[in-house]
Amino acid sequence: MTIAWRGAEFRLLLPILLLVPMGFFVTNVALAGVLEPGDLTLAVGYVALFAGAHLLLVAFGHRGDQLILPAVGAMGGVGMIMLNRLPQDLAGTSAFGLELGMAATQLLWFGVGIVAMLAIAVGLRDDGILRHYKYTWAAIGIALLGATLLLGYEVNGARLWIDLGPVSVQPGEFLKIVLVIFIAGYLAETRTLLTSARLRIGFLSVPPLPYFLPMLVLFAVVMLIVVRLNDLGAALLFFGIFLTMLFVATGRRSYVLIGLVLFVAGFVVAFQLFGHVQARVNVWIDPFADPLGAGFQPVRALYALGRGGIFGEGLGQGLVTLGGNLTIPFVHTDFIFTAIAEELGLLGAFALLGFAMVLVFRGLRIASLARDDFGALMVVGLTASLGLQTLIIIGGNTKLIPLTGITLPFVSYGGSSVLASFIMIGLLLAVSHRSGTADRASGS
Amino acid sequence: MTGDVLRVLLLLLQLGFVALLYLVLMRFAGSLLRDLRSAEEAQISSRSGIGRLSVLESPADEPPNGTTIALGPINSIGRNVNNTIFVEDDFVSANHAMLTFRGRSWFVEDQGSTNGTYVNGHRIDRAVALSFGDELTIGRVRMRLDR
Repeated sequence: MTIAWRGAEFRLLLPILLLVPMGFFVTNVALAGVLEPGDLTLAVGYVALFAGAHLLLVAFGHRGDQLILPAVGAMGGVGMIMLNRLPQDLAGTSAFGLELGMAATQLLWFGVGIVAMLAIAVGLRDDGILRHYKYTWAAIGIALLGATLLLGYEVNGARLWIDLGPVSVQPGEFLKIVLVIFIAGYLAETRTLLTSARLRIGFLSVPPLPYFLPMLVLFAVVMLIVVRLNDLGAALLFFGIFLTMLFVATGRRSYVLIGLVLFVAGFVVAFQLFGHVQARVNVWIDPFADPLGAGFQPVRALYALGRGGIFGEGLGQGLVTLGGNLTIPFVHTDFIFTAIAEELGLLGAFALLGFAMVLVFRGLRIASLARDDFGALMVVGLTASLGLQTLIIIGGNTKLIPLTGITLPFVSYGGSSVLASFIMIGLLLAVSHRSGTADRASGS
Repeated sequence: MTGDVLRVLLLLLQLGFVALLYLVLMRFAGSLLRDLRSAEEAQISSRSGIGRLSVLESPADEPPNGTTIALGPINSIGRNVNNTIFVEDDFVSANHAMLTFRGRSWFVEDQGSTNGTYVNGHRIDRAVALSFGDELTIGRVRMRLDR
């Protein structure tokens, strides 16, 4: 194993590692009213985590993409500054004799996530175990869902959580990774069959059913359970990932068209059958119809966005609490983007979107450089997941689409989400490392 | 008076923070652009191939272990030295298999060999489409199709 200097990553990480302590400093000045940095322990911890990750990648001679980790660091940094600014008693853990506030808990999960990311990025030299055992992975996914259905408990009308002693986990976050691995394995195997076989109905070319059925059945099962769990955001996300991967694998626009028609049909059926879908859509169309009840959260979010304007209220100067109550309920998970847009304005929100765009762009680049179809498709699926999550929740926050409870990767508070997102980054780095070394071995 | 000074300082700090945020973004943009340029150059200088075979296992070391073979659109594989890919192994027939690139994907077809051609461990009986990453076994020689 040889050391590989990662110059670009180093140069990009430097200003980010300055950004987080500075954000903490500004927040403290604004909140305390004195020119003091305040308690920088968490900021220093954050900086140490990313510096450590960088050094370990260098030490292991990792040749993977160098922009991914800084992009994650920037998104996570903005999120960390925001979580540190919000009231610390919104969430937290008191396990193992430790009392941790919200930001400290999030930092702890970042640590766990980075360890998982490094283990996968460095340890996963061969994707055989992912590729060849795809049905095992599918079974694990279904088992995860089943466990949620049986053992899960409800938060806000959606049953997504399983209680595991000291921590609660959200299996759905990990399900999406497993699902992407299964679909990638399946499509890599049958891709040529799916593209070469032709069956036309009118101007639409229809996929050859026998090759298609296993995946379709699995997907239908997943969607049914997810809808049963009232997890609309996840349903939307899974569908988006599935269509993206199918399109990338086959290059057929008609498949996407069929998928979209199915989606609209499914939505209409769900709208008729489920009261909570109707409620969501009604709130989206006119949140001001019931500003103190169902529309409370979106109305407050819109006001917060309005207060932020272009330049923002400034870190620590937004109206987070009013008379001891949060102005926006669930500001640390679902509405973290709104809080950022309130305090950093349109400018800050754009910067955050810019970091997410860098992440997606590099993800697609890794996919296009991947040596094998499975790796490429898996990376496309994971990238689509990160990108779509960002779009769905920001769209929900800004009332562009109906609000669905989904996390903003690396920004929202939540252990499962942070860990799952870091596992995805680890897989991206592993695939990118393999194409990096192949280039060197063949001398091109 | 000190309150006013603090307010001005705070404003400057807030602006400084946003400026730093955009500095980071500019650096990302710079890195992306540099990368795109170098990728373009790399594409011009090398890499016109439609695929290559990585030799995973080759008991007689011909083709040598661990090497990659650049592929043309039509490749014949066998123990006869006139094949485009010459394989030295007792279990390989003189004209063993054909590996061809048709349109947008790779196909492999057995040429009536004694011991057969295997794709991902399954023996093939007709022309089979390959995906990148698939493993091809000819005699005791294992090779992987890569981009």
